[in-house]
Amino acid sequence: MPWPTQRRIIGTKVQRLDGPEKSTGMAKYSYDRNPRGLLHARILRCPHAHAKIKRIDLSDAEKVPGFRASHLAVKDNEELMFAGAEILAIAADTEEHADDCIRAVKIEFEVLPHLVKEAEALAAKRGTLGGAEDVTNVLPANTDSTDNFAKLAFEGAAAIHEGTYGVSIISHQCLESHGLVAEWDEKQTSLTVYASTQAVPRTATGLAATFKLKPTDVKCITPFMGGGFGSKFAADIQGELAAELARKAKVPVKLMLDRAEEVTVGGMRPSAFGRVKIAAAKDGKIQAFEIECYGSPGVGKAAAVNFGVLPYIYADSIAHKKKTNRIVRMNVQTARAMRAPGHPQNCILTDQPFDDLAAKLDLNPLEMRLTNLPPNDPDAVKEAPNSYLAQRNTIYRRQIEIVRKMSDWDRTWHKPGVGTGAIRTGLGMALHTWGGNGKGPNPTRITISADGSVLAQSSSQDLGTAQRTVTAIITAEILGLMPRDITVRVGDSAHGPSTPSGGSTTCPGTSPAILLAAENARTAFLAALAPRLNTTANMLELQTGRILNRTTNGTITWREACALLQAPVTAEGDWPADAALDKDAALARLWRQQLSNQGVGGVQIAEVKVDIETGVVRCSRFWTVQDCGLIINKLGCESQVAGGVIMGINYALFEECIYDRQTGRQVNADMEFYKLGGIQDMPNIHVHMMDMPERGVIGIGEPPTISTAAAVGNAIFNAIGVRVPIAPFTPERVLAALAQRK
Amino acid sequence: MKQHQGAVESTDVSRREFLHGSAAVAAVTALAAAPLATVQAQAPAAPAGVGPAAVRITLKVNGKDFDTSVEPRVTLLDALRNYLDVTGCKRVCDRGTCGACTVQLDGKIVYSCSMLALEAQGKDIKTAESLIEGGKLDAVPEAFVRFDAQQCGFCTPGFVVAIKTVFQNNAKATPAEVEKGLQGNVCRCGTYEQMRDAIYSLCQQKRG
Repeated sequence: MPWPTQRRIIGTKVQRLDGPEKSTGMAKYSYDRNPRGLLHARILRCPHAHAKIKRIDLSDAEKVPGFRASHLAVKDNEELMFAGAEILAIAADTEEHADDCIRAVKIEFEVLPHLVKEAEALAAKRGTLGGAEDVTNVLPANTDSTDNFAKLAFEGAAAIHEGTYGVSIISHQCLESHGLVAEWDEKQTSLTVYASTQAVPRTATGLAATFKLKPTDVKCITPFMGGGFGSKFAADIQGELAAELARKAKVPVKLMLDRAEEVTVGGMRPSAFGRVKIAAAKDGKIQAFEIECYGSPGVGKAAAVNFGVLPYIYADSIAHKKKTNRIVRMNVQTARAMRAPGHPQNCILTDQPFDDLAAKLDLNPLEMRLTNLPPNDPDAVKEAPNSYLAQRNTIYRRQIEIVRKMSDWDRTWHKPGVGTGAIRTGLGMALHTWGGNGKGPNPTRITISADGSVLAQSSSQDLGTAQRTVTAIITAEILGLMPRDITVRVGDSAHGPSTPSGGSTTCPGTSPAILLAAENARTAFLAALAPRLNTTANMLELQTGRILNRTTNGTITWREACALLQAPVTAEGDWPADAALDKDAALARLWRQQLSNQGVGGVQIAEVKVDIETGVVRCSRFWTVQDCGLIINKLGCESQVAGGVIMGINYALFEECIYDRQTGRQVNADMEFYKLGGIQDMPNIHVHMMDMPERGVIGIGEPPTISTAAAVGNAIFNAIGVRVPIAPFTPERVLAALAQRK
Repeated sequence: MKQHQGAVESTDVSRREFLHGSAAVAAVTALAAAPLATVQAQAPAAPAGVGPAAVRITLKVNGKDFDTSVEPRVTLLDALRNYLDVTGCKRVCDRGTCGACTVQLDGKIVYSCSMLALEAQGKDIKTAESLIEGGKLDAVPEAFVRFDAQQCGFCTPGFVVAIKTVFQNNAKATPAEVEKGLQGNVCRCGTYEQMRDAIYSLCQQKRG
């Protein structure tokens, strides 16, 4: 069952099936569910960055008209570690009354010390996250070094550059906030939730564990969801509270976060700051990379950078490396996975010092990248010739040549800081990689009915990635139909297990299973048809829209053939079990290296215009080359890539969670002062997709957002000749950097 | 205080309850040293007005009249979503920044999160749901589908209504003029590039 070599639909531009519902507001998201008798719930949150509750009194709240139920989210004496931590939830007949109830809760706090600035938390002698007095907020450092670094690293270098780089905490800012609608059956033994989630079955099983129910007694239904970006893998506290309130009130409860809550508790990407020392020979070959970095995952413990692949991309071609990373905890929400966790930070801390070093050597940074590309791994070339490791040098080299032509780099690039007038133009580039491998289980069931209809079902979710359409494309390809002919149902945990949609794993995780299901459906269909046509299945051939009967050399249409079915034909397809794949090398090769794969490369170039009088940066043009193995839907792929770039431009220029040192609260937990670019803030984005069908399907969600901020940072450096060290590159920071210019 | 009161009273909706409260606060601030009795004597008597209890209203949405009962503080957005189950307009920022709640009111574009439901009485309210009739898509959502100018889709109805309004006001709008009309809308998935394709195609259609 390899992918068909002649592809009729796969790899073409296919409109998403649910486009009409979405664009006319007919699509029902979790937030839009209004079952009969619905109550609305709100959460009372800690206003302090670190506190203990001394007293809670709900007596007035319970007297507010419309009050129905309350549920406490804290234990006795529990320390609340950040502003926004959940205390209790109340359900009322209207949202307005739920707000009134929350306001009527009388509560007193013992306010405790907090830290919400990374540098202060790094330096502080005392921690602010509970525990013993000698425990600071800084976790033990992670270090790694090549042998004899001190002696060898900088010996004979033609140029050594030292600089500081970094990027602030940002928020996922999902437009549909986190939350769900919870509804119990009459006996309160089964629960249905309409959750905004990236993991439909996992949300259901998680709630089943919380409420001590059988996994099959909780259903999660998510046909549409309004953005997750890595922040929505479980019901979360608000989901559990909604279910508790629904159980107490015996009616459905909706609890969706409001915007301030979404920003302060709905997820964030950790900050990362680093001091980098980098050295190269005269030809630009980098010989040493030294970094001391730190970043904050809030009260969590996750690293801000991806330590294993730092320095980014070029690590395997740099002889001497030394790195230290510190995780600095502080009193803000826990970091959550956000589109390529750690990778944009890695790229910012690697690809920007790269260009500063190139400038010191008076080299063209594009040429210097060609000099420093990691080699194709000889072992991988033998073992897994279609893998990223086996092909990375070749892929990046091809991509750089393509993007070089697209952007007219050779004509438009200039040395850093060359230019006159108030508006300075610059070009900058950066490289990225990501895994994006799929796995099972992702069972897909296909049913062909006598009326000619085809139904494809799985529990996988469509986050806006057009997963529904991917399912239809593959099914239609194999059954000789068009995507519109396929009815797809996704986002219902009743359809069995599926892997969560994180890490660009959904398309590679589901596509091979859909392919197998469709092939099985074709086989079963022809087997059912054969006796009706007085022949055997091997004499029948499924062609586009019709069936050829080799016995008679006659054809009948798809509909005519279906009408002959005595019962609907159903078939399933799924990955072999992991154990089977681990045991059988040929099977593993088929599923993990031909049907799907992992590891992509991408190259991006940004053009910026910097107003050196106001410090305002505009990203004016953008070019990106991206591979993702076998492309299923070119329209969807291009959209994912352009969207990733736009998220990266936001990261580079606009986004930042700003925490107030005094109160410990985020001052821009909104959309006015937490800035996201509009259409006029964004350049035209030229996307070139490199189709590599022999590699199988690889995920595309994360990669294109990774190198954008570093490319923009490098373009600003190229425009003004001075590095703006910390992103977002706001007018204030650009002017401060310009003031340092000699 | 008087001037403000006059200004507010000239609108359709009375916010007297609110003013009553804030006037009292202002009085307390000004007369902090005065005996309590004096302050109370100077507070205005509660005037007749709308609310705070729920009041019956009729909203004309996509050509149909809907009766419901809302408290005066309920925004048009919340009335549409929570009381009428018209959910094409989305609640995202809830304070007039992101445009996800965009609807048309007598042909004019408004943030439904930033006006009260009471103020929308007697007006012709149109949401994105009005742009599909009998399964037939209006040209704007049709272009969004064709060029895939949407991902998660949560911002999309707002964008679609905004673009529709631009063209209603100026059938010959250029792509740049349409983009200008989208200054009040934000997309998080980053579908602007595909949206530009859709806008360009729509502008071509209008000229052709």
